[in-house]
Amino acid sequence: MEEKKSNLIVTIKKWHTVSSWTWGAGDDNCGICQMPLDGCAPECQFPGDDCPIVWGKCGHKFHLVCINTWIQRNINEPTCPMCREPWEFRDD
Amino acid sequence: MSLREKRLMSELKSLTQKTPDLIKIVKTENLMTWLIEITGAEKTLYEDETYTLQFRFDTEYPLKPPEVVFLQESPVHPHIYSNGHICLDILDESWTPALTVESVLLSLISMMSSCKKKERPPDDSSYVRAWKKNKFSPKKTKWFFHDNKV
Repeated sequence: MEEKKSNLIVTIKKWHTVSSWTWGAGDDNCGICQMPLDGCAPECQFPGDDCPIVWGKCGHKFHLVCINTWIQRNINEPTCPMCREPWEFRDD
Repeated sequence: MSLREKRLMSELKSLTQKTPDLIKIVKTENLMTWLIEITGAEKTLYEDETYTLQFRFDTEYPLKPPEVVFLQESPVHPHIYSNGHICLDILDESWTPALTVESVLLSLISMMSSCKKKERPPDDSSYVRAWKKNKFSPKKTKWFFHDNKV
């Protein structure tokens, strides 16, 4: 018996795509503002590129704006708010 | 919303939802001034004694520590003055913005719990006499932290 092949012709009128993103920082909150790291610090308007997060060499992570306000207070000897080790940005 | 307001709202929410034992939030009508009661832990010199603390958060919170004092009667303790001022490093030079109202309260309860003898700091009367002249904030005091045993 001959196999019948039918070609269904469809026209896609529109589609919806969904994607999600994360900084890869888990569900942690920022130790300075206490907002989620994947969320947005009080000084920022939008999560994401507007409010990036940074890691210190000690392994602790914060919103960039939050750690910057803290570092500016202690510009000579900045320390990590979590472990009090000298604060140094981790080079990625 | 400022960093201070947002932080305080988030701290208040989590502290109200899950208040640790020995702690009672009394009044926070004004987000910048909180009154909190703490009760001495069981089997310590302060068991069942309740004291009221006032927390004030200035515009630099949480980059600077809150001002924390005991109101009315303060516990008799080698690091607590009779005017309610507290000599505790995390309320001064050892503050970091990762500390919270809750961690300050737990430190105070722990500081009281490890006390072996109820007595005032050796310089209590001269400190309080100086303070009575212009009622300065404890944040204006230059503290020396010399004893971490109690």
